[in-house]
Amino acid sequence: MSKNSLDFIRKKLNRSNVILSLTVLFVILVIVVGLVVFRFNILRYNVQSDDKVYDKYYVMITDNYKSDFWQEIYKGAFDAAQEQNIYVDLLGDNLPTQYSCEQLMKIAIASKVDGIMVYANESDEMTALIDDAEAKGIPVVTLYSDNTHSDRLSYVGIGSYNIGKEYGKQIINIMKDKENTTGYTDGSNMTNIAILIDSDAKETGQNILISAIKDVIEQNKPEGSDFTLNMITVNNTNAFSVEESIRDIFFADDIPDVIVCLNELNTVCAYQALVDFNRVGQTDILGYYDSEAIIREIEKGTVYATIGIDTKQLGEYCISALSDYYEYGSTNQYYTADVILINKNNVELYHKAKGVEQDE
Amino acid sequence: MNRFLDKPLQYKIVSICVLTNIIIFVVNIFLLLGINSMSVEMEMVYQDNRNLNELSTSLSNVQDSMTEYLSSKTSDSLENYYKNAQHFDLLKEKLDDKITELSFGRMERNIKNMSQNYLDEVAKTIEAKRGRNVEEYRACYENSTAMYEYINAYITSLNLELFVNNSKHYSELNNAFRHYEFISFIVITLVMAGNILIVTSFVSTIIMPLRRLADSANEVAEGNFDTELPEMSYNDEIGTVLNAFNKMVISIKQYIEKIRESMEKERYMQEKELMMESHLKDAQLKYLQAQINPHFLFNTLNAGAQLAMMEGADKTYEYVQTVADFFRYNVNGKKTDATIREEVTLVDNYIRILNVRFSGDIGYDKQVDERLLDVTMPNMILQPIVENAVNHGIREMGDRGKITLKVYREDKNVCISILDNGKGISPEDIEKIMSGRWQHKEHQYDNNGIGMDNVISRLRLYTESDNSFNIESKGENMGCEVIIRLPYEESN
Repeated sequence: MSKNSLDFIRKKLNRSNVILSLTVLFVILVIVVGLVVFRFNILRYNVQSDDKVYDKYYVMITDNYKSDFWQEIYKGAFDAAQEQNIYVDLLGDNLPTQYSCEQLMKIAIASKVDGIMVYANESDEMTALIDDAEAKGIPVVTLYSDNTHSDRLSYVGIGSYNIGKEYGKQIINIMKDKENTTGYTDGSNMTNIAILIDSDAKETGQNILISAIKDVIEQNKPEGSDFTLNMITVNNTNAFSVEESIRDIFFADDIPDVIVCLNELNTVCAYQALVDFNRVGQTDILGYYDSEAIIREIEKGTVYATIGIDTKQLGEYCISALSDYYEYGSTNQYYTADVILINKNNVELYHKAKGVEQDE
Repeated sequence: MNRFLDKPLQYKIVSICVLTNIIIFVVNIFLLLGINSMSVEMEMVYQDNRNLNELSTSLSNVQDSMTEYLSSKTSDSLENYYKNAQHFDLLKEKLDDKITELSFGRMERNIKNMSQNYLDEVAKTIEAKRGRNVEEYRACYENSTAMYEYINAYITSLNLELFVNNSKHYSELNNAFRHYEFISFIVITLVMAGNILIVTSFVSTIIMPLRRLADSANEVAEGNFDTELPEMSYNDEIGTVLNAFNKMVISIKQYIEKIRESMEKERYMQEKELMMESHLKDAQLKYLQAQINPHFLFNTLNAGAQLAMMEGADKTYEYVQTVADFFRYNVNGKKTDATIREEVTLVDNYIRILNVRFSGDIGYDKQVDERLLDVTMPNMILQPIVENAVNHGIREMGDRGKITLKVYREDKNVCISILDNGKGISPEDIEKIMSGRWQHKEHQYDNNGIGMDNVISRLRLYTESDNSFNIESKGENMGCEVIIRLPYEESN
């Protein structure tokens, strides 16, 4: 009987011991888990400050960083730079004020970046800035538009003569089409060609392009037809003047038969004006750049043809030029990116190629 | 654990309280630490913005003091400029110049480099102003102002982006804080539950022996000394009480045992004493009986009677014969019942003996219904009554005293009446005699020792009726009549 009660007490004691140990364990566990959860939470919020550090810092300077064209180039440059642990910034992208290329150049020089890719022009101010940067040891690559007098490292752009030739061929095609449809025999067959030139363009590239067009047409124009080539200066000095200038063309008495646009914005404005003024089929537009909107217009027939530029390649060339400079001290003076003509005939093909590229 | 349980009760209770409090305290400290670190974190969220604002203010100060110097060339403004420029330089140096994935880092780097550039430019401006080189300081001023604007633009932009980012961070922190609150609540609740468990299990461990003690005490209180005694658990106060209780129960048990033993002994002694006494009395009685052998007495009296007859003393013979008969009846008293005839004969003999003793003073009249003489009745009833009547009624009256014995039938009873003409009995005395409270005087040698109360109770027992014996007296000197009623059955 007393043995039993002893056992009972021992059992009870053991049981309460077990409960006690479990409880203490449980409390400690709760504290530890709570702390861990808490720490984990805090760390998760803090972790973002810890990010990748790059070796070099290049900037790309352009006057219209929002356009697809420049964004594509930037993307190409950015991807190429990432491989070499270099960061490329599209300067001015995240600043509240919109600065001109010259102002951005100043900022870049003052910021002591490791390389500048600039959409240059032939102005003296730009020349001075490029020279200043070079003097301070910052290599400058002119991109898409050159400043030939400066000490720039190299020029990355497109072959203007090639583009001119392509445009010329297309104009000949247009002229032939016209001949076939109207069936004229008199000598009154005159094709009025207008080339839109930016008001601030002093660059030589445009001149080369225009002369290429002229040469091609002169050599290949069909029998009995003639053409006039006019330069229409588009005022791009302020933000919205381009669109107004292009519309002015359509208000004139003599509306050109072919309009050649030499940048993306002009192309867009031109085809929109064409639609608005109901001139589709009467006036043909030779566009520039292969943005989605322009490709769509080609499919619709509003835009006769456009020039596709390998923008990615442009960006890559910039980076390789700068890297060559840092690696070997010098690099090519010129880099020329591939161009491709897109019209109704090959737009399908182009689409497929683009699709494949995107799939990659 | 056991060592802990052996400690005093107070120590244990205090320990439990302290333990639970410490647990809660520790948990609270941890929670407070968490809250503290979170609030520090929250405080720091907008620190970057504050730093940038300070930088911006400092930049403005540099620009202002430079402008002031350029316009007024006071030494105060120059001093201000140096001070501000130094301050700005310090602030600028704190900026990070790493090229990072995040735009903040790159902007910071640009701001730092531009600030250096700006400071150089401003220094050049000041130098040119001091050298009064108008052309140069104008150009430099323009440059530095442009730079100032760029830097400001950068700072504004960075500030904005940081603000957006920090706001996000802040709201995340806020969220985390809410989560933390919830977790804290759960943790505290769980810890409290744990504490309750700890306290409960501890207290029940401590209280359990006490409860067992209470159960045992209850059983003992109900008189069950053989209950199972609680085990000694630990050496605390309860253990001591338990021990004392166990000892007490054991010693009470021993004490009770002792008392019972001594009581048994005493009783045995008493029994022994009583037996001794009765044996002694028995012996005395036997001794007396041995002395008075009735047969010896009868034979003696018979011998006397025969002697008297041979001598021709007829009267003596008759007397001795009567005495012999009288005593024979007494000694014959082994049987309890007798007939009325035998009783009446005994009374006759008694009167005859008395008349011889007192020379024929007592008149004796007998009116007996012969048919009733065979009715049975207890023996030794009539003679004591007659003896009483003689002794208390007519003794002092000489030859005027008279006793009348009647036996007659009254309804279903046989009545025996003994009537005397003596001095009578007062009603109080009758009452006393009837209820048996009469104190008869000791040492009356003159009777055969049988009192009235004996007679009355034997009669009542025999007839099972209170009316079987009755005394009637008409007053003083008017005599007294005793009437005995016996049930009469026809078959007799």
